[in-house]
Amino acid sequence: MLSLHESLKCNKLICLPFSWPSEDAMPEVKSIIREVLPKQGQVSMEDVPTMVLCKPKLLPLKSVTLEKLEKMQMEAQEAVKQQELAMKEQSQ
Amino acid sequence: MEVTMDPLFLAWSYFRRRKLQQCSDICAKILQDNPYDQSFAVSQCLKTRALTEMVYIDEVEVDQEGIAEMMLDESTIAQVARPGTSLRLPGTSQGGGPTPAVRPMTQSGRPITGFVRPSTQSGRPGTMEQAIKTPRTASTARPVTSASGRFIRLGTASMLTNPEGPFINLSRLNLAKYSQKPNLSRTLFEYIFHHENDVKNALDLAAQATEHAQFKDWWWKVQLGKCYYRLGLYREAEKQFRSALNHQEVVDTYLYLAKVYQRLDQPITALNLFKQGLDHFPSEVTLLTGIARIHEEMNNISSATEYYKDVLKQDNTHVEAIACIGSNHFYTDQPEIALRFYRRLLQMGVYNCQLYNNLGLCCFYAQQYDMTLSSFERALALVGNDEEQADVWYNIGHVAVGIGDLTLAYQCFKLALAFNNDHAEAYNNLAVLELRKGRIEQSKAFLQTAASLAPHMYEPHFNLSILSEKIGDLQSSYTAAQKSEDSFPEHVDTQQLLKQLRQHFSVL
Repeated sequence: MLSLHESLKCNKLICLPFSWPSEDAMPEVKSIIREVLPKQGQVSMEDVPTMVLCKPKLLPLKSVTLEKLEKMQMEAQEAVKQQELAMKEQSQ
Repeated sequence: MEVTMDPLFLAWSYFRRRKLQQCSDICAKILQDNPYDQSFAVSQCLKTRALTEMVYIDEVEVDQEGIAEMMLDESTIAQVARPGTSLRLPGTSQGGGPTPAVRPMTQSGRPITGFVRPSTQSGRPGTMEQAIKTPRTASTARPVTSASGRFIRLGTASMLTNPEGPFINLSRLNLAKYSQKPNLSRTLFEYIFHHENDVKNALDLAAQATEHAQFKDWWWKVQLGKCYYRLGLYREAEKQFRSALNHQEVVDTYLYLAKVYQRLDQPITALNLFKQGLDHFPSEVTLLTGIARIHEEMNNISSATEYYKDVLKQDNTHVEAIACIGSNHFYTDQPEIALRFYRRLLQMGVYNCQLYNNLGLCCFYAQQYDMTLSSFERALALVGNDEEQADVWYNIGHVAVGIGDLTLAYQCFKLALAFNNDHAEAYNNLAVLELRKGRIEQSKAFLQTAASLAPHMYEPHFNLSILSEKIGDLQSSYTAAQKSEDSFPEHVDTQQLLKQLRQHFSVL
């Protein structure tokens, strides 16, 4: 039984060191390949926590009842306002 | 000479065409002109009905819980409910809904829904402190009790507009006399209940009428139940509804009864009741919707979606079901499918700011960039109030972040705050952008504001924790991280940060 490392050496495919193919999927080919270990560029990734944004917000649709309630409340507020205005004018 | 129509007939015609104000005006004239005529009683009845219809709202939908009902709850049987049995502990069910990392949360810790009804408007806060704080941050203030809520305000307003005083003076009404007349008593009851919002008098009338009907009329029992519900006597309401169901199976009674159970925080009983109802009325849409709503409120999104799909099989123009399934697809990373659902709503003739905003978002995330900005433009053209405008600008800010135009994003979030100064999400996102510009103090201030405005969101706490850790303030970083963990326990980054901080502390 070959170790993973040795079996990689036997593979003709040039594999990047950070994407190991699974062992059983590999065909047994007897040839020697070079091991590639990058020495510059982005070699490793450190998981640094970053700030998170709040997510986009789908706006919920309003039910008919809610719309009617809101409309009625608006109208009522308007009516009260107008009556108060009229009262003020009368008292002046 | 012009032939004039009989005023009573005209009023009746107006009523049928739902021109209620005109109907009421004509009736008032008839009542003034010939008080001893035979048409007097008829027009009085008609005016009562017209006035009722003007302010009529579906009682099944109406549910507003005041602070008093919520905090001074007498029906609780256990301090902490078992998982999956309560509507008040939303995180307890194992439904596998999306985490707050993908789907925004409401104040009560539930994922936001695709559809609002009067009862879903503001969730149930967990503590007294939160309950009192809620009105300060939400756009609508929570009333002290449901009896002092919107209904009373509406009732008094309808009084004010009538300079001669109320149409029917309830205190001078002989309820006993009217309860004997079955054809008048129902109209009168609905007038008292819906128009005057005088639940106690309505209850009196209903009690006498049901006695007159020898406790055999289901309609009066349902009305009694409605009155008890409004008064907060849920067990009595339950009794009346149950008894009404014994006389006659009616869908509405099932819905009212389920409402009682939901208020008593017994979602499982409500679900069983709905299933009983479905045995009698197979595939009834309102019952199916009720089940779906309960599943959704218990954070069991996948089964809620199943039931909403059942609803759509029966009624393929059900706005609530389409909207809920659509939003669920959006937040499970399938904006293309969500887009189809929202387009369906557009086809059906729903035309408002919310829909265009959702279409814009779906288009953007489904990579249909040509439609995105025009949808948002329409959404902005259709906004009804400042809060909506703020939300639309907030979402445009997200689009700007997505295309990398951070200046535009900054301006959008600023605009969101200009329209709604309590927009916690916008504060948080602005803080992230400020930090990119290197303005640490400004960023920190925004994050603190966001955290105090919306303590239920994990993002501001988490960001504040990272920021504090970077500038070396480990203690406040730790407290913020703990708060973040409280609102989102499964968040991996928070846990890592906490672990790291604990290591730091143990070294010291």
